[in-house]
Amino acid sequence: MIKKYEKPVMLKIETGMMNKFGSSPYYTRKVRTEIDGVKIDDLVNEHGSPLFVFSESTLRQRYKQLYNVFSTRYPNIAFGWSYKTNYLPAICNILHQEGAIAEVVSEMEYDKARLAGIPGDKIIFNGPYKSISALEKAVSEGALVNIDHFDEIYDLEKVAKNLDRKIKVGMRLNMDTGIYPQWTRFGFNLESGQAMDAVKRIVNGGKLILNGLHCHVGTFILDPNAYALEVEKMTGLMYDLESKFNIKLEYLDIGGGFPSKSKLKGTYQSPDTLIPSIDEYAEAISTALYRNLKGGHMPQVYLETGRGIIDEAGFLITSIVTSKRLPDGRKAYVADAGINLLYTAFWYKYTIETDRELQGTNEPSMINGPLCMNIDVIEEGTLLPPMEKGVRLILSPVGAYNVTQWMQFIEYRPAVVLIGPNKTVDLIREREDLSDIIRREKVPERLKIKA
Amino acid sequence: MKHLNAILYSYSEILFIRSRWSGFLLFLITLLNPYVSLGGIVSVLSAYTFARLINMDNEFLKEGFYTYNPLLTGLSVGYLFSFTPLTILFMVITGILTFVTTIFLSSIFSYYLKLPVLSMPFVIISSLAYMASTQYSNLFVTGLYNHTYWDIQLTFGFWIDGYFKSIGAIFFMPNVVTGIIIASIVLALSRIHFLLSILGYYIGTLVIALMVGSFEQSFSDINHFNFILISMVVGGIFLVPSPKSYLIAIIAVCTSTVLLDAVLVFWSNYGIPAFTLPFNIISLSFIYVLGVVKFPQMAYLIKDTPEETIDLYLSNKDRYRGSWITIMLPFAGKWTVYQGFNGKWTHQGGWRYAYDFIITDEDGKSFKNEGNLATDYYCFKKPVLSPIRGRVVKVVNNLPDVEIGTVDKVNNWGNLIIIKDERNFYVEISHLAEDSIKLEEGAWVERGTMLGLCGNSGYSPQPHIHIQVQEVESIGAYTIPFSFVNFMESGVYHSNDLPELDAIVEPLHVDLKYDSKTSFVLDDVFEYKIIKNETEIDRLNLTVKMALDGTFYLDSGKGKLYFGKHEGTFYFYSSEGNDKYLNAIFQSLPRFPLTYRENLTWSDTIPVGRVLKAVPKAIVQFLISFVHNAFKINVNLKFSSPTKITSKISSKVLKVNRTAELEFSDQVGFKSIKVEDIELRRIESASNTD
Repeated sequence: MIKKYEKPVMLKIETGMMNKFGSSPYYTRKVRTEIDGVKIDDLVNEHGSPLFVFSESTLRQRYKQLYNVFSTRYPNIAFGWSYKTNYLPAICNILHQEGAIAEVVSEMEYDKARLAGIPGDKIIFNGPYKSISALEKAVSEGALVNIDHFDEIYDLEKVAKNLDRKIKVGMRLNMDTGIYPQWTRFGFNLESGQAMDAVKRIVNGGKLILNGLHCHVGTFILDPNAYALEVEKMTGLMYDLESKFNIKLEYLDIGGGFPSKSKLKGTYQSPDTLIPSIDEYAEAISTALYRNLKGGHMPQVYLETGRGIIDEAGFLITSIVTSKRLPDGRKAYVADAGINLLYTAFWYKYTIETDRELQGTNEPSMINGPLCMNIDVIEEGTLLPPMEKGVRLILSPVGAYNVTQWMQFIEYRPAVVLIGPNKTVDLIREREDLSDIIRREKVPERLKIKA
Repeated sequence: MKHLNAILYSYSEILFIRSRWSGFLLFLITLLNPYVSLGGIVSVLSAYTFARLINMDNEFLKEGFYTYNPLLTGLSVGYLFSFTPLTILFMVITGILTFVTTIFLSSIFSYYLKLPVLSMPFVIISSLAYMASTQYSNLFVTGLYNHTYWDIQLTFGFWIDGYFKSIGAIFFMPNVVTGIIIASIVLALSRIHFLLSILGYYIGTLVIALMVGSFEQSFSDINHFNFILISMVVGGIFLVPSPKSYLIAIIAVCTSTVLLDAVLVFWSNYGIPAFTLPFNIISLSFIYVLGVVKFPQMAYLIKDTPEETIDLYLSNKDRYRGSWITIMLPFAGKWTVYQGFNGKWTHQGGWRYAYDFIITDEDGKSFKNEGNLATDYYCFKKPVLSPIRGRVVKVVNNLPDVEIGTVDKVNNWGNLIIIKDERNFYVEISHLAEDSIKLEEGAWVERGTMLGLCGNSGYSPQPHIHIQVQEVESIGAYTIPFSFVNFMESGVYHSNDLPELDAIVEPLHVDLKYDSKTSFVLDDVFEYKIIKNETEIDRLNLTVKMALDGTFYLDSGKGKLYFGKHEGTFYFYSSEGNDKYLNAIFQSLPRFPLTYRENLTWSDTIPVGRVLKAVPKAIVQFLISFVHNAFKINVNLKFSSPTKITSKISSKVLKVNRTAELEFSDQVGFKSIKVEDIELRRIESASNTD
């Protein structure tokens, strides 16, 4: 093979000394030749590049670990699998097998859960937009609907009238738990009294039975105490409603937002140091529950977990297409996967592993995606040894949000595989081709190009 | 009707059986000797009238329990004296006297000895009557005259005649024909009693024959009915029928031979027959001794026949495990039993009734990393929840969590909390984490209140929860047995039980939804259509009622279905009467937990007599007395959804295999109960639906 010519540059050599990244660059080189015992080569040869790979064992292990951490602290806990983080049916079904119910935020997700065979009474229906037909379907199938705004109260009252029965509903709250930014867009605000107004409206309407409270304080919450405050405020409201309106709530849905072990951009410490262990969250939540619930009262508590379970089970294999030297001396690589597949690239600094040992000194490098757009940057600057075309990078964690928020922009979306027990590899989503793109496209007769 | 029942039961109670028709037959037999018969009736009626006079509770009189002694006295007086108006007066007097003695003695016996009176009052009063009669020259003692009345001379040889005459002698009619009739009644009612009567008679008589050296003399002694009674009462009534109870009955009979002959010698000096004295003395001594040594197979629930007794005993033994000292598991989620009762390390001697729990992962390890730090252990700092309702009486909170591999030998129990249960026992939970107990002494706790965090203080090689129950409040007192309620082990629900070593268990707290679905209030009425092939074939109306002992039941008019809730489980305890629909409900849903978990399963055992009919039932109930575990009928139940329970009633040996499905109503009760092709469908009245 002819070695590609490259204009020489001068690099400061770093030899095992500590640097501003906290460790020796030489030892930070990470190599991964396999995922769950299956060779990266084999995966790519079979399914092409780029390729999303999910590890079933990691997923199950992560679920069990999280569930045990909570269930050994509070007896009535259930997990609602947050569909929006990853709604590939194979992934959802693994989690349903483990015991999670579904948490959906749109009619599409609701239909997806029903199609997978999840009964309505095992679906939590959240979100700011639920069409009246979606509401009617969900209510008649027994779903737990958490009301987001006043118009939804009116809509649900209409549904109750149509169905000619009272219906049980939950209500979403937003509140100050010391988290910035405070999410105030969703649900009824507690501190301003809006939530109480909504309850009064529900009680006076006489058609809805308030059955539960829901709150979701934010995402990637780094302070466990936020949840303790949330629980305290929710239980406070629960008992307030009991004494004022004789409303007996069956559940508290305290949402999700637990972080995964991913490195956020702009953070200095490693995720292991920065991110509290899940035990700390569980302890904050359970202690707050026991401190605020009346002795022996154990309402059902739902957690809507997504990222914390799935993120670390997902990998993206991408191949280097080319490299160039930027005028500022940095090395820039083009990979065959970019922000079209990695929505989370906007705030995550991924762990980057190479599929082989590489020679040469580390140099400041940037990794760009295949899009013909300046913003398509996966990694703005890291230290990597020189990489030839064809070297594969394994990016992680990428399990959450990417496979739902990816976009079909000038490229086909790649295949997704699942590595199951005993190194079995199952294709769980095929690579797209032109037919997927044009299937819904119509060309009026008059615009057809005649041959 | 009620009064008639009492009188008929008096007759059948002599054979330790409660049955109206056999009481009636026995009454008819006594008619063969009109004097005897009249004596019986006069005595019972006078006793009964006297009981009404002194305002005795109807429920007691309904049983015939207090009137069979007067009946026996009446029969014996009728047997002894020829009939004159004066004799009637004498019968009335002795009848009332026997009744008063019965109540007097049974109160003393049951209070001081926990024993029944059997026919002791009859023996005493009849003996007195016979002694007194020697002074009454106006009464004609028929014993001095020829004892002829209706009689057929039937004979099969002395060794068969002897049995029939003896069994006839129980009713003062020692002849073969009445013997055959009475023996047939016994056989028809209870094969176990019949077997015992044969065993008792022949073994006792043989022993005496060997002693006196004459078989003919031994077989002609009608006093040998005592053997029959001893055998029946020991082997079939107060003990649960089993090969062992049969053996004990035989031993009792053998020992009674000495007493019988001694009594005969002594009593005959005064011209009194032995009556049932040997039977009373031997039976009462045996029962008393068996009670003192806590013989495990005592029948505490005595039903109408030994067959019913054993059937109920066996199913109850399976149904109601555990103990009366019931506590919840003191944590949330899945924990592993590290040490149980009589554990190999520390649960020994006075501290043998204790449990230790830890958390393990899929590989069975209790820690992550190297396990060198307390924080590596999964259970460390997990919440410890109150297993009972009660008051905190002692808290130790200031001991450090020791390093892994070391133990605190001075403060063995580490940080601990002792709670006094409402039911007057104490629960001690030990080895909690330092400063984790936020409750003060005197605080009131409910089941599930957080007490503190699991720790590693005291004599603790690794973090764990130690729990024990004690009778006193002091730290580390001797322990007493207890059991855990409402827990799940590998998807199986246990109402009240002790998990095995290494079992992974999870407590299930009562779900108020299921509690309110089973809140049946007195006089609630539930109407059901009975549907077969989509056509209505019958109706069933169930009313909630309460029995005198406080047990609630559903009454259909034809039968009763007893139910109740205990410690988080709803039970249908038993069905009574002949309502096939109630019976079907009982069989298909003997119990269910008042909480829900997906695919939760549980099982129960029901009495054979509730499933089988007539002949197979008679055969199987007889055979189970020999092999207790051979004919179990299991009911396996499962939540197929939060509102539906499916149930399988099955027995391999008995070829029973039925399925049922139950659906809860939105409010209280059951919407539908399907057993095979029959469905009970609730008619929800407008007021019931919201």
